[in-house]
Amino acid sequence: MDTLLTFLILMAVGYGVGTFAEKRHYKSIHKREKEFLHLPAVTLKTAHYTPDQVASARLVYGSAVISIDYFKKILAGLRNIFGGTVKSYESLVDRARREATLRMKTMAENADVIVNMRIETASVGKQANKKSVGCLEAIAYGTAITLKK
Amino acid sequence: MKFTPRQADPEANVNVTPTHPLKELAILLGGLVGLIVGAYILLGFLVDIVVPRISHETEMQLAGLFVGMVPEREDVDEKTRALQELTERIQKQCVNLPYTFNVHVRKSPTINAMAMPGGHIIVFTALLEKVGSENELAFILAHEIGHYAHRDHLRGFGRAMVFMTVSAALFGADSGVSRIVGQALNLTEMSFSRDQETWADEFAQDAVNCYYGHVAGGTDFFNNIPKERDPGKFGHYFASHPENQRRIENLEQRARLNGFRIEKKKALDIF
Repeated sequence: MDTLLTFLILMAVGYGVGTFAEKRHYKSIHKREKEFLHLPAVTLKTAHYTPDQVASARLVYGSAVISIDYFKKILAGLRNIFGGTVKSYESLVDRARREATLRMKTMAENADVIVNMRIETASVGKQANKKSVGCLEAIAYGTAITLKK
Repeated sequence: MKFTPRQADPEANVNVTPTHPLKELAILLGGLVGLIVGAYILLGFLVDIVVPRISHETEMQLAGLFVGMVPEREDVDEKTRALQELTERIQKQCVNLPYTFNVHVRKSPTINAMAMPGGHIIVFTALLEKVGSENELAFILAHEIGHYAHRDHLRGFGRAMVFMTVSAALFGADSGVSRIVGQALNLTEMSFSRDQETWADEFAQDAVNCYYGHVAGGTDFFNNIPKERDPGKFGHYFASHPENQRRIENLEQRARLNGFRIEKKKALDIF
């Protein structure tokens, strides 16, 4: 009975707090993405600028670690039984990648374009204990190019 | 061509499926519960198919799993020995079953006796306190032996056992879910159907008739239990329960039809 009660409380807390945090995060992501519209980040390896146009070219990166909540973990666990799209993890990966990209852009400051952008993901804190709630890390990196004014 | 940066619609995120998480949970949980219920119903049918095919040897091997569930006591007291001897005499004279019966007495307020796999008959102390004659006791033991003859003891456990196995296979043996399932399956809740009880009653009546030459005391154990007491505690020997009234009537009618005699009961001097 206690096990069941703990489980239900964890589920409710996971769902309530998790949903609240996610909504707030997305709101912040949308706001900051709008602010960074002037700074495109592209996957092209080179931009066709002549050397005398470029003031600086430097590595910029941003990383974000997002934890799953208990509710999402259970939902994904149930998905493991039946197979199919693990919908509960999609928003996590999405948030981590976009947050990482935004942090990368923040690091780029007044650059004009970020080229050769890449995003990588890794899971964090899963090896220690299989039962622990895992985290997801996304790291975005690229070359920020600032043009001479 | 001029590049105009614009933001994608925040509400239309191609990377996130717009299914509500609670809806997803409902679908998945519903599917899982459906699967378990389906498996449970299927197991009900499977038990009837499998149980008659379980060999005596296999049952003895399985017995270890269940006997472990009942705490073993080292001290075999006089009562246990007397019950054991009575059981053996009944078996030798009137019952032809390939079992080696072991009677165990367990301290418990439950007025009940149980047939466990492998020929282990558990008799609770509260039941012994209520018994008034040897005939009555013989009937109870023969009733439990009747469950073995019909292999009800395996049927009663069969589904529960397979159910636990399914839960262990799905969630792991030491997972929370398996533990909850395990706790829900209490030994004393092993239940027999109406037909199984009736069959064991009739088996016991025949055995007692064979052993004593008459069927006196056969329905006493039903009547000995005070009617005002909590029905939950009395297992399948509870008297005022309508189901047991039906069983008493069935036994009395059967005794009349078969011309079983009713003579003087033997005093309970074996203890």
